Amino acid sequence: MLGLFGTLNLAARSMQAQMTGVEVAGQNLANVNTTGYSRQSVNIQTSPDITTGIGSEGTGANAASIQQIVNTLLNSQVQGQQSTGGYWNGQQSALQSAQNALDEFLNGASSTSSTSSAASDSSTGLASQLSGLFSQFSAVATAPTSTTARQALVGQAQTLATTFNNVSTQLGSLKASLNSSLSDNVDSANKLLSGIATLNQQISAAEFSGGTANDLRDEREQDLENLSQLTNIATSTETNGAVDVSIGGQALVTGYKVSDTLQTYDAGGGQMLVQTAAGGQPLTLTGGSMQGTIDARDGTLATLQNNVNTLAGTLITQVNGIYTGGYSTTGSTGGNFFDGTDAATITVNAALAANPNLLQSSGSATAAGDNTVALQLAQLGSTAQAALGNQTFNDNYDATVAALGDSLQTANTQVTNQTAVTQMLSTQRSSVSGVSVDEEMTNLMTYQRAYEASAQLVTTLNTLMGDTLAMKTS
Amino acid sequence: MRITSNAYDSSLVNQLNQLSAQQYTIQNQVSTGLSVQAPSDNPAAMENTLDYQAQNAAQTQYSSNISTLQSRANSVYSVLQSLQTISSRAGEIATSAGSATSTQSDLSNYADEVNQLINQVVNAANTKDPSTGEYLFGGTASTSAPFTTTTDANGDVTGVTYNGNSSVNQAQIGAGMTATADIPGANTGSSGAHGLITDSQSGADLINHLISLRNNLNAGNTTAITATDSANLQKDENNVAYQVANNGVVQSQLNLAATFATNSSQSLNTMISNSSSANLVQVMMQLSQTQNAYQAALQSGVKIMQLSILNYLP
Repeated sequence: MLGLFGTLNLAARSMQAQMTGVEVAGQNLANVNTTGYSRQSVNIQTSPDITTGIGSEGTGANAASIQQIVNTLLNSQVQGQQSTGGYWNGQQSALQSAQNALDEFLNGASSTSSTSSAASDSSTGLASQLSGLFSQFSAVATAPTSTTARQALVGQAQTLATTFNNVSTQLGSLKASLNSSLSDNVDSANKLLSGIATLNQQISAAEFSGGTANDLRDEREQDLENLSQLTNIATSTETNGAVDVSIGGQALVTGYKVSDTLQTYDAGGGQMLVQTAAGGQPLTLTGGSMQGTIDARDGTLATLQNNVNTLAGTLITQVNGIYTGGYSTTGSTGGNFFDGTDAATITVNAALAANPNLLQSSGSATAAGDNTVALQLAQLGSTAQAALGNQTFNDNYDATVAALGDSLQTANTQVTNQTAVTQMLSTQRSSVSGVSVDEEMTNLMTYQRAYEASAQLVTTLNTLMGDTLAMKTS
Repeated sequence: MRITSNAYDSSLVNQLNQLSAQQYTIQNQVSTGLSVQAPSDNPAAMENTLDYQAQNAAQTQYSSNISTLQSRANSVYSVLQSLQTISSRAGEIATSAGSATSTQSDLSNYADEVNQLINQVVNAANTKDPSTGEYLFGGTASTSAPFTTTTDANGDVTGVTYNGNSSVNQAQIGAGMTATADIPGANTGSSGAHGLITDSQSGADLINHLISLRNNLNAGNTTAITATDSANLQKDENNVAYQVANNGVVQSQLNLAATFATNSSQSLNTMISNSSSANLVQVMMQLSQTQNAYQAALQSGVKIMQLSILNYLP
């Protein structure tokens, strides 16, 4: 039998328990917009009963624990998807920049002006500059002694060379900026690793005396997801609640300590890769924006640079091969049309650029009006080149553009798909762990009513006590 | 499934983003008229478009080459016309001079006329292309005057030297097709293009034949005129007639090539348009569909987000 005082205690405990419920609902409502927050609920249990002559009697209820509502399976799925998403995002942004560097866009300005003109027109990219060069060779072949045609040819060749130089410079600086973004990613990853180690320690300390450190766990989950975006990670949970993190089989966070960090290293030729800082162990990454960046740089981008350089190199050798044997109107011979060896170094021969009359368009030392060399150069444009996989210059370059477009299109599609998957997972996760205002308001009212009822019990007991005391005075 | 407060917001934001991106793409297609703008939009179509554009640039250049050749062929033709007049006049003179009624004074008058004809021929043979300033009849050595003459004390032409060569330039008029409108001033070889003034294949040597005619006229040697000069001048006239016919062939070849280049250019434009242009009707349909979806998402989103239990709490 609890008696008056026992029941008063019961009412007080009940009020405390319901108050905890109100507090938790308040905490949930406060964090309705907090990223990574998992909703909490109070676990109210009946207090231990006491045995009386008429059977066991309840002693009310108390708040036993505040628990976090999470689905760890969904969390690990989100981590995996973040990693894949990060990979494709890395690729997408690198390839997008490469596409901009090529500057091979169609613009529809001419389509609206006239129905007979070309529907699309790409006038700044290498494709039109290349065909322009061969057109100008053809124009010179048609009017071999015309100074205007020579000047136009030299101008066109200079524009082409400058375009090659620009593309080369932009692709080069893109590579440099990818390397620097890789090293930024490594810095962020190291910060996250040390954050996770610190949180491991705080969580263990908080949970040592029982219970769960809900908010710290949310924070650590958020860190793990951010890390997953940068690279693929493997995690395992220790019995003390600490999460161990390893990347590519190398343990980086063990318990409360960061056992190793990441750093970039030069694998030769400015090709930056990632290794462990203390162990010096090169890491094989399979996901995350770091690997996306590395793959885009060493894959599509490297091929692109290589193709553009081969194209420029072949153009230089083929044009010069025909050109050096020609004669100019001034009788000079043996000069080069293009100097340089690749896209970065290609220039129009300086003497020729200064004096278009030095153009060696004639095939005969005695006939300045001859066009044999110019005609051969014009026909070079439609000749398949062994060095370019038996394609013409234009076809080869068009294929290079299409290959880049393909890679970027794949990356775009993957990013879209990945966004949808991530969105779906986060909806799923929010359906488990997210805060619903309607639900919390309802809970709030539930606990409020229960609190009111317990308070009413106190009032009733007060009255009963008054009645009991009044028995003596009356 | 449990739907939380932020589930609506985040999925609505996501849907609106997607729909906005679609509208952006469609709007871009409508305003530019292109369904492909960047290589990543459609790599295969981009490759085709670039390929067609390169071919189109080549066709445009062919057209321009053809019009250069056409104007040169026209210049050549006007020279040929005057040479035709001159050579037929020389033939008439040779015939008239050979008749028994001609006196020495008649012959001298003829000789003066022939002298003028010689000068006209030399001038005609040294004609420049008005557009490029090249000598038309110097072969490929077209930067210096092809014919230089030697004259006697009276200023009469006694000999002529050809400074050009017998080669002609070919120019591109189509894919794998070349043509020339040039005629070398002289070709003393046994093959190649026939020379305009001197040509060993047809036996033509207009200036020297005119000089011989004049000399015979001055000398009163009507026998030689009848026996040799008439026949030689006939060869010259035939050679000019051959060149006129040849010029006609070249002109019609150029006209054909010009038509072909224009047609190719048009069909390439159609192909470019097919591979990269947006189908406006289809795109506008897509736009209105997307706009409907966008409106519906906004309307339903706003309605749902406005309501919560808070609206009904006292």
